[in-house]
Amino acid sequence: MSTLSLARTDEGLSKAARYAILTGVLALAMAMSLMLGYRQYTPLDVWNAFTAFDGSETAVVIVNLRLPRAIIAPLTGASLGIAGVVIQTLARNRIASPDTLGLNAGASLTVVVASFVFGISSLAGLSSAAALGALLTSLIVFGIATSAGGLSPLRIVLVGVTIAGLGHAIVEVILTSNEAELEQLLFWLSGSFMDRPISLALNGLPFVLTGAAIAVALARALDALHADDSTAASLGVPIVLVRGASFVAISILTGTAVAMAGPVSFVGLVVPHAARKIVGLRHTHQIAAAALVGAIYTTLADVLARFVIYPTEAPVGALTAVGGGVVLLALLRRRAA
Amino acid sequence: MTDNRITVDALTLGYGKQTVLNALSLPIARGKVTVLAGPNGCGKSTLLRAIRRLHRPASGRILLEEIDIAKLGHKDMARQIGLLTQSPSAPEDMTVEELVRLGRYPHQTLLQPWSAEDGRAIDKAMAGTGVAHLRERALGSLSGGQLQRVWIAMVLAQESDIICLDEPVNHLDMAHQIDCLNLVSQLNAEFGRTVVLVLHDLNLAARHADRLVFIKDGRVEAAGTPETLMHEDMIRNVFGVHSKVITDPVHGRPMCIPIGTAPWRKMVPVSDT
Repeated sequence: MSTLSLARTDEGLSKAARYAILTGVLALAMAMSLMLGYRQYTPLDVWNAFTAFDGSETAVVIVNLRLPRAIIAPLTGASLGIAGVVIQTLARNRIASPDTLGLNAGASLTVVVASFVFGISSLAGLSSAAALGALLTSLIVFGIATSAGGLSPLRIVLVGVTIAGLGHAIVEVILTSNEAELEQLLFWLSGSFMDRPISLALNGLPFVLTGAAIAVALARALDALHADDSTAASLGVPIVLVRGASFVAISILTGTAVAMAGPVSFVGLVVPHAARKIVGLRHTHQIAAAALVGAIYTTLADVLARFVIYPTEAPVGALTAVGGGVVLLALLRRRAA
Repeated sequence: MTDNRITVDALTLGYGKQTVLNALSLPIARGKVTVLAGPNGCGKSTLLRAIRRLHRPASGRILLEEIDIAKLGHKDMARQIGLLTQSPSAPEDMTVEELVRLGRYPHQTLLQPWSAEDGRAIDKAMAGTGVAHLRERALGSLSGGQLQRVWIAMVLAQESDIICLDEPVNHLDMAHQIDCLNLVSQLNAEFGRTVVLVLHDLNLAARHADRLVFIKDGRVEAAGTPETLMHEDMIRNVFGVHSKVITDPVHGRPMCIPIGTAPWRKMVPVSDT
């Protein structure tokens, strides 16, 4: 049984076909995001809203409300998916993610501090704060996990979960002492794509692309880091440099995702597993597939969030957390961590 | 150009305050199989790793041809020396091909991530180690012997002219030990690769070494052909073992039959009869 389930074969679909299917599913999910929700629209409504905007309520909802989230959701998912791939390889632990390593919590904390303590409200300011928070947290977590000799895949997650708990606690203290603005930030902190201006996506895009480009440039070195450090070093990988650059990529990707949507839980944990199942372990493919799968995951979660407690909307972060929690437990049961 | 592919020159190296290699000097001949042997903790693995620059020397230097390895780039170094460490690890769901491909890392660049040459090299490495039929298998589904051959294939795919293997047959059964070391001998004979092995089985070492190096307490105790080195006094001195050395009736190499630990080790409460 274990032999069978471990034996991954390339039988069946070619990689190109797999990417084509993922792209098709993503397009479908984005179309659903435009059509479905509190009110349902036909494909024709959507088509008309874009080609012949008439100022009607339908057109306004589609273009001003639905479109931003149909773009921000997949962008956030792609960003977290890629970050998850890089983190899991770096930590050599398949349950490492922006959540379990505390990067989401760190990014949330710096955003809350920037907002309440320094009065920053611009998106660029908050995005920078989130990326900085993610970077600092990753340095702290990897630093502590490696301080006693080599990097321990177990210790890194224990440290990460602890730091995440600390971060959340501090965020809550700050929030309870600033009740006036609590509601707005509370919604942000649970992760959502609702009521976000499209400028958020446009401003976030270059950051996501930069993070993704760094990850792709590191792909072959990350492949070698599948092996232990000694082997990777003897293959000629400049390990310290690759780790450093990976931290930067992870921080940009996680920070931008947090800035766009708040901490959308567990996306970075789940998506890499699906990506590896679909295209294997080589990072060029893992990264590309994780971007697509991540985009599909968050977009579908965002659509579903509109219906689970209809007519009210559920925070999408709660949905991805449920999905992620189930997958995490399944992985732990299978000892994959 | 000298006949020495590698020159270790007065190398001192340690972990923390503990000195592992103590002003060790050793020339390693081009195109020969050199086997490092010695008791546990003598520094043989550390020396191998130091040659691949995985440890920073406290003093002394290591030369490849005439060039100090401290001056070589990461990939340049990896194109010259392939090293298989004692217990390498990789994810269980990685396929054989994915692992063997890693050997091509030092030959690739950002702008040329994959070439036909890379494909040819990994095919050849997998064929040479007899793992071509396992190409799509997950590492976790392989037996110990298969897995070891896959790791060796990865090092071969690197196509370095120096190959260092640390205890490559440690966990293998007899048949796989023979296959593995024959493969190494063949690589050396056919392609003139310089091979450096760490082996703790003295008889395997004697059979496969052109040149045997005994290491004790971080120094080279003796170096030479197995015939000149393998005698009873030397083995007692290096390993603390009382033995009889005979000539292997099949290969004509010296062969050591251990009798007991030397009396001064006081590990067995028997009188020396």
